[in-house]
Amino acid sequence: MNKTIRKLAYPYYGWLYLLAIVPIAIMLVLVFFDIEGIGFSEARYTFRNFALFLEPSTLEAFGNSFLFATTATLVSAVLGYIVAYQVFRSRFRNKFIILTLFILPMWSNMLLRTEALGNIMERHNIFTDLLGIPGGFNLRGTGLAVLIGLVITYLPFMILPIYTALEKIDPSLEEAALDLGVTEMRKFWKVVFPLSIKGVITGCIMVFLPCLSGFAIPEILGNGNIMLIGNIIEQSFRNMSYNLGSLLAITILFFIFGSLMIVNKVDKEGGTLI
Amino acid sequence: MIEYSKATLEEYGYKDRRFLKKVYRISTKVLVVAVIFLMYLPVLTIALQSFNSSSELSSFGSFTFKWYGQIFRHPMLASAIQNTAIVSLTSTILATVLGTFIAMGIYYLFPKAKQQILLLNNIPILNADIVTGISLMLVFSLLLPVFPYIFGLPTLILAHLFFTLPYVILSVLPKLGEVDPNLMDAAADLGLKPIKSLVKVMVPAVKAGIFSGMLLAFTMSVDDFVVSYYTTGNGYDNLSIWIYGSIGRKSLTPSVYAFSTLLTLGTALVLLAVNLLSKRKVRNK
Repeated sequence: MNKTIRKLAYPYYGWLYLLAIVPIAIMLVLVFFDIEGIGFSEARYTFRNFALFLEPSTLEAFGNSFLFATTATLVSAVLGYIVAYQVFRSRFRNKFIILTLFILPMWSNMLLRTEALGNIMERHNIFTDLLGIPGGFNLRGTGLAVLIGLVITYLPFMILPIYTALEKIDPSLEEAALDLGVTEMRKFWKVVFPLSIKGVITGCIMVFLPCLSGFAIPEILGNGNIMLIGNIIEQSFRNMSYNLGSLLAITILFFIFGSLMIVNKVDKEGGTLI
Repeated sequence: MIEYSKATLEEYGYKDRRFLKKVYRISTKVLVVAVIFLMYLPVLTIALQSFNSSSELSSFGSFTFKWYGQIFRHPMLASAIQNTAIVSLTSTILATVLGTFIAMGIYYLFPKAKQQILLLNNIPILNADIVTGISLMLVFSLLLPVFPYIFGLPTLILAHLFFTLPYVILSVLPKLGEVDPNLMDAAADLGLKPIKSLVKVMVPAVKAGIFSGMLLAFTMSVDDFVVSYYTTGNGYDNLSIWIYGSIGRKSLTPSVYAFSTLLTLGTALVLLAVNLLSKRKVRNK
């Protein structure tokens, strides 16, 4: 009987190979050619695309991406852990409501939320007008604005895995630790934190990757002043330069596969990913 | 009688941290409230903007409902909403049904094959949206010679199915582990064919997982911008793509804010109702 049921998974192999692995192969091929779009009629074999890595604008975009993604991940990890831990410790045990609370903002369109955030970052905005206070400074267009935008947008992806990991900890372990005479502080660092590290790792990956590769938030909140890798990929594909875009996408893929390996190691069932 | 001085608690090594604890408790509470407030700040701004009679973004004219009335009168917005609804509903339903059965298939795989497919299954979740979008666009453009009109609705649904399926699978899989394995054997003993017993026995047993997977899939699908941006065609805009274009042209109508507010409120009410209903059911049992 299990044999029949097992067959249900086989088409999914094909689907994943076709839509996830084949395109990577296509991109790997595109990297070595010099063509417009993906017409192979005038394809020429070349290594010229790799010169892209020597361009200062690309290097700057890579630097920016890492700076923003790392900072945003660290800030959200600290904030996310505190929030997840407090919610976990509160007597509030209704998981459904907690999930709803953190998922609900996602029901407004991401771009619309970013645009709204951008609007209230301007010197004169709807809140200064309503409250009658003179506008202070213009945050929009600065790096800080992009950072705040990234943190606010991706924080739920940090909070939820950490909360899930915390919830799975057996409460008797904590009681045992207290029985053995440790202080609350040591109990946290020796028992609770190590057991929740899985959630922290997953959360960090879920925040780091979209921050590294996104292009809409830096574009809307940075007013085009701040270029990340995502923006350069987007521009390459818009200019029909698929080769350069593929090259950068492949570069990002290295990080993604690295993350995939980490997730596979710490969490085989993928239980903290959602 | 000799008066011995009494040892104080401090001399036994007790450190009075009551004050610090209080500071810690209050500051973390303030922080949590502040973070949640920040997360909702954009949503609040959107709501405020939707009641603003002036379409200026920097000043509040007076309180009005007029933008709500104009949501479906704006032709571009109305069609974008319609497209989003069609794409998200179709892909969510497909992902829920297919994902549930795929998850069951995966559950009965041998451990090694199971680990392999789960690794592949994580790719759409972890992959950068822009890489997913470009990848799918490349595959779909290979199909162009066979299906010349594929770009638009069909590609959008396939793309959304691609990145929502893993969420359903990951929600259903852990619930399958909790089901009593004897149930399937009992169904087989009673003469049910394997597929039928899946539908009759396993699906009801993992209902909760299927529901949360469906909810996640729909949320991801409605909120997606980047993947849709690369896989659509023929001017088939969903809400995200249309908003991105409007932000670029600086021509965003306040009716979008009205629609977004309605959607958020509606979702909140539905989720609350579901929560209350499920609670009542538990109590009745």
